[in-house]
Amino acid sequence: MTDVADPAGMADPSADVSVPAIVPAVGVPSVGVPSVDVAPEAQAVGWRHRHLLDVDGLSADDLDLVMRTADAMREVLARPIAKVPALRGRNVTILFYEASTRTRVSFEMAAKNLTADVTNIAASTSSVTKGESLVDTVRTIEALGAQMLIMRHSASGAPYLAAETFGGSVLNAGDGWHAHPTQALLDLYTMRARLPGGSVAGRKVVILGDVLHSRVARSNIWSLTAAGADLWLCGPPTLLRGFEAWAGRGAAAGRQFTVTSDVGAALRDADVVMALRIQRERMASGLLPSLREYAARYGLTAERLAGAKPGALVMHPGPMNEGVEIAADVAAGAQSVITEQVTNGVAIRMALLYLLAGVPRA
Amino acid sequence: MSGPDLDLSRVWLVDPASGREGPGEIVVTDGILEAVTWLEGADADGIDDQGVIVVPGFIDLHTHLREPGNEDAETVATGLAAAAHGGFTTVVAMPNTAPALDEPSVLGRILGAAASSGSPVELLANGAVTVGRAGETLAALGELADAGVVGFSDDGSPVRSASILRNALAYAGALGLPIVDHPEDVTQTAGAEMGDGVVATVLGLRGWPVAAEATSVARAIAMLAEVLPDVPGARLHLTHVSTGESLALIRLAKARGWPVTCDITPHHLALTDEWVAGARRFAWDAVDADGVARDPWADGALLAAPYAASTRVNPPLRCAEDAMACLAALRDGTADAIATDHAPHAAVDKAVEFGEAANGISGIETAIGLVLAAVDAGELPLARAIAALTTGPALILGSRSRRGGAAGLVEGAPADLVVIDRSASWTVTAAGLASRGKNSPLLGMDLPGRVLVTLAGGRIAYESTDPG
Repeated sequence: MTDVADPAGMADPSADVSVPAIVPAVGVPSVGVPSVDVAPEAQAVGWRHRHLLDVDGLSADDLDLVMRTADAMREVLARPIAKVPALRGRNVTILFYEASTRTRVSFEMAAKNLTADVTNIAASTSSVTKGESLVDTVRTIEALGAQMLIMRHSASGAPYLAAETFGGSVLNAGDGWHAHPTQALLDLYTMRARLPGGSVAGRKVVILGDVLHSRVARSNIWSLTAAGADLWLCGPPTLLRGFEAWAGRGAAAGRQFTVTSDVGAALRDADVVMALRIQRERMASGLLPSLREYAARYGLTAERLAGAKPGALVMHPGPMNEGVEIAADVAAGAQSVITEQVTNGVAIRMALLYLLAGVPRA
Repeated sequence: MSGPDLDLSRVWLVDPASGREGPGEIVVTDGILEAVTWLEGADADGIDDQGVIVVPGFIDLHTHLREPGNEDAETVATGLAAAAHGGFTTVVAMPNTAPALDEPSVLGRILGAAASSGSPVELLANGAVTVGRAGETLAALGELADAGVVGFSDDGSPVRSASILRNALAYAGALGLPIVDHPEDVTQTAGAEMGDGVVATVLGLRGWPVAAEATSVARAIAMLAEVLPDVPGARLHLTHVSTGESLALIRLAKARGWPVTCDITPHHLALTDEWVAGARRFAWDAVDADGVARDPWADGALLAAPYAASTRVNPPLRCAEDAMACLAALRDGTADAIATDHAPHAAVDKAVEFGEAANGISGIETAIGLVLAAVDAGELPLARAIAALTTGPALILGSRSRRGGAAGLVEGAPADLVVIDRSASWTVTAAGLASRGKNSPLLGMDLPGRVLVTLAGGRIAYESTDPG
């Protein structure tokens, strides 16, 4: 425990024995890859964002750095004790204004794997009905000592309001229909890990389902077009409202993607198919006749998947409605990487917590 | 009480009432506009419209003063001070106060507040169309007319039922007053957060369709057309029109000779939906050579944080094509007036999630700056811009304003004028706004044209103390 390089002075010999020895990462190249066993602020890795609010502000270099850092985190996760002290002594608050289990737990495990102190707050969905404003809540959390704030909110843009107030780092865990940056990054990571050649460039990636209400789709548009994928968005026209116009703008800006309601054309020769959750309330608002009709026309079934390339990856951000947007046999089939997405999610969130922790506070 | 004296030689005069614009001089003695002299020949040499200009005091057809009921956002006194700072010498208060201005005593209350404020700015008001602005039963239109309101509006919401709108147009028409309609089909805008379009799609905000305004405009025009044979005096004024589609319908109605007028706000002329994403460029800089909106993400035009609640307003900031259509409608006369829809809010009502934030921009002090920015960009002739702030609204108000249906530089009358230095710019700051509402997306930006002096009714309403 004492003969390990410790440039940040983090390896306090008197530390709790549950904190593992700092062991140099094995199999990780030493140049340009952050060493997760070093305090985040102790190495310059080229990350400049204090907050992670959106994907549109990330450059190709940023995406690459996140991917490489996540590689290092996967290596940590493969250790017998999957824990490093990189964020020891840091207070991370997880503030969720929307019910969520998987994303919240994923963040919590990520933070704990980095030895952060984690506080969970489940807030009511509307700050207005609750009587305390988001700004007040964030101020209070900061005064209580939080240095990083992981936030989910049903209102698009809410994390920007939090970031205006909060002196530390805000990490967007999903805001309204707008963005879910860590999901998009873990999706990209999963595709890079599984696609031959380790790149999505030129690969046909299809996002199928309720694009209109999907923060996952919006964030993936930014990351996948930046990474050079041949991106297709597919769903009923009511759930694609406005995206054709975005595609037109994107094409002019070199961020091409295709929007179609023709599921056959979308899936033809696809390398990756990502199904999105369909929610019941879409029928109430007159956007869809019925779930049955949706499943029949747009559900990702084995027959439809046969139109894609052999071995095409099947993805889903979860939670799934099996039998609606994705057939149970496809979700559990050989081409599915859905559980791998979940594991990669922990690595990506560890990577982002680590990178954000290296940026000075305001 | 003696009035102010003002002697301005070698300035640029714009007087839409007489159709004249050019070098000149004015003399105000004891508050009376004693002489307006137009200079010609060698006397006019070296005077252009880029320096000090003198124009009639502006008239705002659409001002929210928030009193009674919401005095932490604005009071009559602060609102009138803000008006004067913006060059406005007549404002029409909207009736969405608490209680609503649906019977004469509320009017008496705000007129009393104006009198005790000491402001010389003329305060007029629209009454509500329906009791409590609830859209169900007609308010005391006749009593309100007797008390002096200049029109009727359920602004903030449209007159909900078409049959009530029809009855209101007829009843108000017989009183010689217009219905001032806020065109919005609320069935299309439930939960809407910003103008529909690519920016809304990218930001994941619920879009406010252009059709929600256009269908409501069409409805109101159709009701007017039905009422006119019975009540030739019926008049419809559509306020804060914001889309090209609505303006096309209004153009058609005017071509048929129907008594429809409309106004457009400065923010719908100059700002666009991309401001919600963080862009801070004007509409004319946000379109390409073909008039198509550019992509602020690709342009690197996003200078501010997105989702600033100061950009949330009803009607919403629209795409650049709509803003350009608004400018075109002002140029060709489809739009009669520029009205500010000055909507001050307390900070607490804006310091919330974008979709929860109160709608509105505190805009009466920045109006002339935005309009002059459009003039500077060549989008609007100066004389037309000034006309839309003076004679255009004066004609709609008619004799109920002390301006008497005109708004000219009239010799022998109490001075109602603004002196503006177009060679100077000013920085919009919260502290610099006289309004209690600091909810402006323009905070921190420089606007062209500094108001030096505003004279209203022969008295000083505003005088710049900034030596710069």
